Amino acid sequence: MRRPLIYLTTLLTLCAIGQAPSAFAGDAPGWMHALVGVTLPAHDEKTDAVLLYSERIVTVQSADKIKTTVREAYKILRPGGREYGIVAASFNSHSKITGMRGWCIPAQGKDYEVKDKDAVEISLPKIEGSELVSDVKDKLLRIPASDPGNIVGFEYEEESQPFVLQDIWGFQGTNPVRESHYTVQLPAGWEYKATWMNYPEAKPTQTGNQVQWVVSDVKGIRPEGEMPPWPGIAGLLVVSFVPPGGGANKGFQNWRDMGNWEAGLEQGRRDASPEIKQKVAALTVSSATQLAKMQALAKFVQGDIRYVAIELGIGGWQPHPAPEIFTHRYGDCKDKATLMSSMLHEIGVESYFISINTVRGGAAPDRPPMIGWFNHEILAVRLPDDVKDKSLVAVVDHPKLGRLLIFDPTDEYTPFGQLRGELQANYGLFVMPDGGDLVRLPQLPPAMSGVQRTGKLTLSPKGTLSGEIVETRLGDSGLWQRAMLKTVTKESDKIKPIENLVSNSLSTFQIIKATVSNLNQTDQPFEYHYSLVAENYAKMAGSLLLVRPRVLGTKSSDILETKEPRQFAVEFPGPARDTDTFEIAIPSGYEVDDLPPPINAEYSFASYHSQTEVSGNTLKYTRTFEVKELSVPVSKVDDLKKLYRIIAGDERNTAVLKPVGQ
Amino acid sequence: MNFRRVFLMVVVLMAGAAAQRTPPVSGDDWLPISPEELKMNSVPEAPGAPAVYLYRQVDRDDSRNGHEYNYVRIKILTEEGRKYGDVEIPFFKGEGNVFGIKARTIRPDGSIANFEGKAFDKTIVKAKGLKYQAKTFTLPDVQVGSIIEYRYMMDLAENWVFNSHWILSEELFTKRAKFTLKPNTEFGLRWSWPIGLPPGTNAPEKEGGLIRLETQNVPAFQVEDYMPPENELKYRVDFVYSDNNDEQDTVKFWKKEGKRYNDRVEAFTGRRKAMEQAVAGIVAPNDTPDAKLQKIYDRVQKVRNTSWEASKTEQEAKREKQKDVNNVEDLWKQGYGDSRQLNWLFLALARAAGFEAYSVYISSRNEYFFKPQVMSVSQLNGDVVLVKLNGKDVYCDPAMKFAPFGLLPWPETGVQGLKLDKDGGSWVTTTLPQSSVSQIQRKADMKLTETGSLEGKVSVTFSGLEALQRRIEERNEDDANRKKFLEDQLREYIPVGIDVELTNKPDWGSSASTLVAEYDLKVQGWASGAGKRALVPMGLFGATEKHVFEHANRVHPIYFEYPFEKIDEVTIDLPLAWKVSSLPAAQNQDAKAVLYVMKAEDDKGTLHVTRRLRVDLVMVDPKSYPVLRSFFQVVRSGDDQQVVLQPGTAAVSN
Repeated sequence: MRRPLIYLTTLLTLCAIGQAPSAFAGDAPGWMHALVGVTLPAHDEKTDAVLLYSERIVTVQSADKIKTTVREAYKILRPGGREYGIVAASFNSHSKITGMRGWCIPAQGKDYEVKDKDAVEISLPKIEGSELVSDVKDKLLRIPASDPGNIVGFEYEEESQPFVLQDIWGFQGTNPVRESHYTVQLPAGWEYKATWMNYPEAKPTQTGNQVQWVVSDVKGIRPEGEMPPWPGIAGLLVVSFVPPGGGANKGFQNWRDMGNWEAGLEQGRRDASPEIKQKVAALTVSSATQLAKMQALAKFVQGDIRYVAIELGIGGWQPHPAPEIFTHRYGDCKDKATLMSSMLHEIGVESYFISINTVRGGAAPDRPPMIGWFNHEILAVRLPDDVKDKSLVAVVDHPKLGRLLIFDPTDEYTPFGQLRGELQANYGLFVMPDGGDLVRLPQLPPAMSGVQRTGKLTLSPKGTLSGEIVETRLGDSGLWQRAMLKTVTKESDKIKPIENLVSNSLSTFQIIKATVSNLNQTDQPFEYHYSLVAENYAKMAGSLLLVRPRVLGTKSSDILETKEPRQFAVEFPGPARDTDTFEIAIPSGYEVDDLPPPINAEYSFASYHSQTEVSGNTLKYTRTFEVKELSVPVSKVDDLKKLYRIIAGDERNTAVLKPVGQ
Repeated sequence: MNFRRVFLMVVVLMAGAAAQRTPPVSGDDWLPISPEELKMNSVPEAPGAPAVYLYRQVDRDDSRNGHEYNYVRIKILTEEGRKYGDVEIPFFKGEGNVFGIKARTIRPDGSIANFEGKAFDKTIVKAKGLKYQAKTFTLPDVQVGSIIEYRYMMDLAENWVFNSHWILSEELFTKRAKFTLKPNTEFGLRWSWPIGLPPGTNAPEKEGGLIRLETQNVPAFQVEDYMPPENELKYRVDFVYSDNNDEQDTVKFWKKEGKRYNDRVEAFTGRRKAMEQAVAGIVAPNDTPDAKLQKIYDRVQKVRNTSWEASKTEQEAKREKQKDVNNVEDLWKQGYGDSRQLNWLFLALARAAGFEAYSVYISSRNEYFFKPQVMSVSQLNGDVVLVKLNGKDVYCDPAMKFAPFGLLPWPETGVQGLKLDKDGGSWVTTTLPQSSVSQIQRKADMKLTETGSLEGKVSVTFSGLEALQRRIEERNEDDANRKKFLEDQLREYIPVGIDVELTNKPDWGSSASTLVAEYDLKVQGWASGAGKRALVPMGLFGATEKHVFEHANRVHPIYFEYPFEKIDEVTIDLPLAWKVSSLPAAQNQDAKAVLYVMKAEDDKGTLHVTRRLRVDLVMVDPKSYPVLRSFFQVVRSGDDQQVVLQPGTAAVSN
């Protein structure tokens, strides 16, 4: 994965080490004092702080040097706003932070000042799934008296050697903004291209080669569960800097240019070494077809190349050479894509890098190209004309490149031919020989992912339910169970995922036996088989027995049961179709007195159907829940809330059994 | 109260050290690998393990040019185990340095891939006077079946001696491990193994100037819900240096320490006259002893406690110009002190009022359990005051904000403490409040609508430790956050999504024994449909118990922080013409230490449900886990019972 920006440890680090700036009292600068007493932007009682003023001045000195001055000042309103008294700035081996200073103007008393020498530098320790080694660090400075009622502010300068001639002004965050300025100073002859996203365009003022934009009274964004990713909703200004004569490998104004930039980084990295060629031959020698050869290579790269990210400098975007990856048997996502591409080439199959984000909702054709959109690298594999197989479903017909299979060499749980949900219907940048092309990846049919659960159960007159359950998990549903079981460190703990699943629905149960099928055979459906006994499942009510026909599984959600109206769309992780079938043998001496009504709820984004029937002495419950559209817009959120309530009601509905003849 | 955390006991060696350095690690000193190790694909003692330590070795030398040699050999058994190929060795620059890293991967066929790359220097935290670094590297070609091994030397800072540990229980099963320590000879060293040693392991022995230990088949450490502090479950050997008390006899050791503590307390509190004057302004001559002590307690709780204030930057502290507090008289005049000083003020005032009172140094039980035989003073990390009141022992911690008179915070309850006196003191045990002290009482007056929803008012009364815990947790928050906190509490209690609004202003700031929250509540679709009938579940507040002890297997003892009780009364007015057609049988599970009672009654169109759950336990042996699990299954089953209603005209609709 590419480097994530993680600031979460910063506050903890400062607290843990107890670093406190030394005594250097001084007045806050005039630009901060001018903010005392200003009218605050609109906010509610849950707002931790408001951004009174921010300023970002970007001075492009050359294609290799950009200086950026940053100033911000917050009014802290609540205890949670104390975190704005921690100044944080990221840097790496190609950039440095200088002149960091912070001030506090307390509601009463003298100002405080802290300086660069009081700052702390941190980098992340080893975290599973993140970079093992990275040169990204954070510089932190703690401002004294960062308490409610006080104004805190800071400034610093960043001097960088940019990888790309582009800057992003993210002026909208979780806090309301009173006023925010963005200034670009370009060398003579340079031009810029500015694109506004998720916010009405503000016209700039221009003086010579200096351009300035100002926004004011920007609303804060309050995070919601299952909302689109931040860049898909927050106000941003993307500015590309264009030197005379074009970007010279450092800038891009369209997706084609960005593809070219990436292609330049990847050039020569896929060249196979003799050892790679030898391994390809060994892996494919017994494969009768081209498809079998591709599958063998995919299995090798997914399984045998360990995920390890070492990202220094441009290494966040540039893969290591394939021979190096092969020798070490480790690499990050772009390394794995590189090696896979190299190996495919050796069997005569061409492939192309795809830059993508693991969260849908960022990059789109109507949005400007920028490297910040993407955090993952996968492959588009050109399928030979004679390779046609029903297992190959994640396929795109590209007008230039032909029939392409989308494949993620990092995802060891999704087999060659399929694609996990978060990448489906997502936009990826195809890196082609003649530039980039932003392409929407396929959305697979819902039936390819989901849980198919069947239960054959018997109810005793005392209310004990016992029997067998089979869960067949397809697509992402199987992926997550495989991933969970992989982390189990004791044989006896392998039952815990099943216990977790069952405990969501049954208050009293014993798992008598349980087996897992196809744990490692990712091209086969993952399966749980288990037997359970649930005492007191059916409740006695006088002479009646109350039985919930929906024995296991929860499809309802209370995510929309909030006081505040929903602001953003609800995103599903991927298409899915879940089915439950439970057959419960009714105890002798009892017959059905009352059944829950059938449910048929149909919406454009999802559907839910359930039915409880009696056949002989068997109570049969069936239901299907299908996710058809991956995003539910705000205009349809009330329908989704209604659907979740319908499902919740159905999941609690009860059948009533009575003694025969009563 | 004083939760002092002693991160590291450091003893400075004043003597100058020669500049002689540790010799570098030599090139190819790998231990031989047996064919069995190469072939191994599982370990019977650790079925399903992702990897195991085949061998670990730690050789530490605490002499002047101290160093520590580490050798690690790991067998990779599953895909998950391959992550152990990524290695990070953290260290504090200034305490030492890591060098001489050698590493290699031995493939299942015995061929070797040497680590020839670079160990990256990672600065995790760099600040004034502090640098926390790590050496990070990853091994090549790590596959299932591979053996990875690495070794390195940690050069310890010159002129310093550090306490150290041998941690025997690690994240992975350990097949064999060897440890040695060459102690520094200029200081007394005491070593102990607080929870014992793995079965079959001999106690550490000192011979020829080296302390040695060998162990084998040490289980991997496992994390479980409701388990005691990790320190109480991990096998380890602790080494503690001391420059002034190398006493080996436990009784004498603590007597000696007790005298030192007592001298400190007496030096601080010995201002009898000033305290008598102070107490005269607090109590009235005709107050009863109870009233006197309570008034003194209340007064001390009002004194500014600097331990509870947010950490200040150096500038803030300097600007505040706080004067030193050297004794109770200073404290009384200046009006502030830290937690320990405030407790000593209470002690001095109580004595001045004529009470027999003692300072008691205690060991709180949230991180480890006190063991006198360990003879480490850092174990006694807090203090309370013992007062004889009407012939009874009353333990007080007035420095604990929000603690009512006579109630200690849970980590200080039921723990051993050293009651100080001039002879070195004696051991006492603090009070453990019964479950009836720490209650959550929930009262709901609800109406059921014809659509099956509940609407009405709820009040929740937290008492004892339940109130204290919440006040401590929310002490730095504002009203909006506290409101959300209490609304979220109710959401946690009710097993379905709710619409809730806190309607009162709870008393967050006092040390009252209760904290009361009142709400308006709506529960959509609480009654479910069953054709012509409607069903209402009994356990409106049963969500907290839904997932307690859901797993059948248990390794560690079960640890509750304190005994507690939940008492619920729910009244539901039914829609007009609706009738109760059936009530579930009452539940009464009384196992003495735990109790669950659930009962529903029909009172002419009004349903009354009462529920009581009591847990009078702190520690439960894992052997009793099935019984405890079974009890909570009964609780859940009882909560799931339903009242059958007969709607007047139409059935309930969802």
